[in-house]
Amino acid sequence: MGSRASTLLREEEIEEIKKETGFSHSQITRLYSRFTSLDKGENGTLSREDFQRIPELAINPLGDRIINAFFPEAEDQVNFRGFMRTLAHFRPIEDNSKNVAVSEPLNSRTNKLLFAFRLYDLDRDDKISRDELLQVLRMMVGVNISDEQLGSIADRTIQEADTNGDNSISFSEFIKVLEKVDVEQKMSIRFLH
Amino acid sequence: MAELRAARRSSTGPPLTGIICVLLLVFVSVASASRVVGNETWRNAAGETPEDSHHQTNSTVHKKAFPVLSLNYDHVRKPFEIALWILLALLMKLGFHIIPRVSNVVPESCLLIGVGLLVGGVIKFIQDETPVLDTKLFFLYLLPPIILDAGFFLPIRAFTENMGTILVFAVVGTLWNTFFIGGMIYGVCQIEGAQLVRVDLLSCLLFGTIVSAVDPVAVLAVFEEIHINELLYILVFGESLLNDAVTVVLYHLFEEFSHAGTVTVTDAFLGVICFFVVSLGGILVGAIYGFLGAFTSRFTSHTRVIEPLFVFLYSYMAYLSAEVFHLSGIMSLIACGVTMRPYVEANVSHKSYTTIKYFMKMWSSVSETLIFIFLGVSTVAGRHTWNWTFVIVTVVLCLVSRVLGVIGLTFIINKFRIVKLTKKDQFILAYGGLRGAIAFSLGFLLTENETKSMFLTAIITVIFFTVIVQGMTIRPLVELLAVKKKKDSKGSINEEIHTQFLDHLLTGIEDICGHYGHHHWKDKLSRFNKTYVKKWLIAGERSTEPQLISFYNKMEMKQAIMLVESGSAAKLPTLVSSVSMQNIQPRQSARGRAIPSISKSREQEIRKILRGNLQNTRQRLRSYSRHDLFIDPFEDNVSEVRFRKQRVEMERRMSHYITVPANRQETPPVRKVCFEPEHRVYTYDDSEPRPNPPDAVSLLSESPPGPKQSGKLGAKVPDQEQQEQQEEQEEQEEQEEQEEQEEQDQLKLSRCLSDPGPNKEEDLS
Repeated sequence: MGSRASTLLREEEIEEIKKETGFSHSQITRLYSRFTSLDKGENGTLSREDFQRIPELAINPLGDRIINAFFPEAEDQVNFRGFMRTLAHFRPIEDNSKNVAVSEPLNSRTNKLLFAFRLYDLDRDDKISRDELLQVLRMMVGVNISDEQLGSIADRTIQEADTNGDNSISFSEFIKVLEKVDVEQKMSIRFLH
Repeated sequence: MAELRAARRSSTGPPLTGIICVLLLVFVSVASASRVVGNETWRNAAGETPEDSHHQTNSTVHKKAFPVLSLNYDHVRKPFEIALWILLALLMKLGFHIIPRVSNVVPESCLLIGVGLLVGGVIKFIQDETPVLDTKLFFLYLLPPIILDAGFFLPIRAFTENMGTILVFAVVGTLWNTFFIGGMIYGVCQIEGAQLVRVDLLSCLLFGTIVSAVDPVAVLAVFEEIHINELLYILVFGESLLNDAVTVVLYHLFEEFSHAGTVTVTDAFLGVICFFVVSLGGILVGAIYGFLGAFTSRFTSHTRVIEPLFVFLYSYMAYLSAEVFHLSGIMSLIACGVTMRPYVEANVSHKSYTTIKYFMKMWSSVSETLIFIFLGVSTVAGRHTWNWTFVIVTVVLCLVSRVLGVIGLTFIINKFRIVKLTKKDQFILAYGGLRGAIAFSLGFLLTENETKSMFLTAIITVIFFTVIVQGMTIRPLVELLAVKKKKDSKGSINEEIHTQFLDHLLTGIEDICGHYGHHHWKDKLSRFNKTYVKKWLIAGERSTEPQLISFYNKMEMKQAIMLVESGSAAKLPTLVSSVSMQNIQPRQSARGRAIPSISKSREQEIRKILRGNLQNTRQRLRSYSRHDLFIDPFEDNVSEVRFRKQRVEMERRMSHYITVPANRQETPPVRKVCFEPEHRVYTYDDSEPRPNPPDAVSLLSESPPGPKQSGKLGAKVPDQEQQEQQEEQEEQEEQEEQEEQEEQDQLKLSRCLSDPGPNKEEDLS
């Protein structure tokens, strides 16, 4: 129908999202208004074009991958629930977990790292292969650097991280490499209350 | 531990140092006994007496025999004494580290204050007047090196991420401390006995200002030794740096008004404006000088010898210029160091950068030592009025206000922080608020009146209490509370890549949320930096080099140097083989390749070769010229060809041992020799059926200031050659390779030592 009333967020939905993701009421409403402002088609879902319309994302080296991360497998539209679920990974970790329903909250350290890992690992084989790493490096570094140089960096990266000798980085190796990095701080956004 | 063993072996070490120290002590005391260390008297004396003595010798040359040996101490008195003081300070520092037990318990700063007290006592005993920590000396000569060192090597990432917290602690915390201490002291003075009633409110507030500021020197000195985690370090240290602006403003404010007598609302308002002017103005001055310095460093490629001096001079000028306008000199210095650093690091040669680093550390170390010794000496020297109530109350109030301030502010701050500060963190923050020499110098600047000496005594007591008591106990407390220590991570390329990755990711997410947070602005700033600023300030091709690449190159360089340095201790064969074992072992099943191990006799041979060739290197030095740096192979175009060739060989050999190359299944690549035509001296791929790793070669051609980006050691794939050959040939070759590699290694070593490498007669094939 497209009338305003049907796109307003219902209380029950807010409650469900709150339980699933841990966001507070005001955060959810605030993000909902952002969602609707992005949703030019006003059909309650976002498509890839809606994301690509954000100017800063276009110049972000990882823009496309981030956008893809929002869309579940083989789908072209994401609704508000999915939007929030993805964003929930970036909530700051709190000391006391209020989420008793979910075994591990979406914003736990492991889940944050898993989200990042999936951005590297496009083919979802649970390993970052050398080629996948090269692709990411190429995106981050630009066009001026030679393939060989990138290749040497990739080689060294894999060699540093790889412990089981399969010439790729598995998720556990990924976690181990980042154990000294303060992921809780680096992967959290302070959503204003 | 090694020092301990060294000390035991040379058991004459500590006693000898002790004897020297005692002798120096006596000498210094005698030397300063005859005259006070004052400024003007020296100049006059030094000016007059040489002339007199010259006249005398001239006029008496006819009457007396020509004096073969004469004593003229006044001529060199001032520099002599300065040098003696510094020498004494450094010998003390040396002595502390030779005696390990003491330095584990007592922080160095305390020991130095103790020495100062001792020396001051000796001098006072011999003669009444003693040298005092001259305020001008302190603020103009002793403080800047320490701040510059701290600012230049400030961990920027941690600093900017916690900027909000640091600012709150620095500004609000210091204000709170000042008014609380000042007000309570005033109250106590009113209540207490007769002699204290004369102290008025403004003087109390002035006193509060002086005594409430956390001191960067003391914090550095103590925190350096306890290796606390980066977050806490940057919070306390950042606070100590940024509260300088607050202190400067408040100090001037109260000093002005303690003469006038009253403070109006306008004055308070002006004070607030003054604060912004002082801090932002200081930062602006520092940034201007920083950019000037960076710009200058762009053109210094032909005069590498004076490069470090530019850094120091520009920074010092920034400090002095800020002081001219009564802006915050410390903030100016920090801003200068921070803005200059990335560009200078990219422009300046490797050796100059090392020089800068070590000179800064050297100067700041000397300054720190001198400051603490002088603190001790001045304590003995100054006039003290000991008033039990005042002093005790001050000390207690300092502690109490610090604790309350930290708790209160953390409560507010934690609402805005992602990673909250725990109780343990808060305790360390409160306990780490040390006062130091800045407080003392500011107190010394007070106008002379009857309360000054009382104030000074109290200030000194607080300083001693915080540095000695808190400094000594903080280490066991850190252990007790199991506070997170500094993680010793050697730069890992993984961390760097993933951190940058996460930065981009978070920036993207922030943009999606429409939330203009930390990452958004950081991204904008770095984009601006890349497109405009770097082009202006960085010379040559390095202006377009992405951060990741420069990080990677730095790492490779470090590893190369490390490998060769350990090789110079004749450990290279074992180290290399262990490294190769480590890396190759897990892959062995994957490729089924036999790795030859180096036999003992082979090791001996290799060592002999190394030693022999190292000696050869020294014999081939060029003639000495004072202004020439030894030809730095990285920058000399003439020998570039030769070194390119050698380096490629080196890389190939090294990579065999350092990294395990990726398991590339491609067919051996086409042999591309991408050198420019005139450099076709490369006979590398003619002799043996080894596929030339074209990667190594083409890398060189692509990057003319390549030497800086050298050390692409970890990369290549000489693996393929092994895969294709038979084992016996392999063994033979590898032994040859090793031999050549050792020679290559010591070539690399010689390069690092900046000698011209030995001319290799044989063909490198």
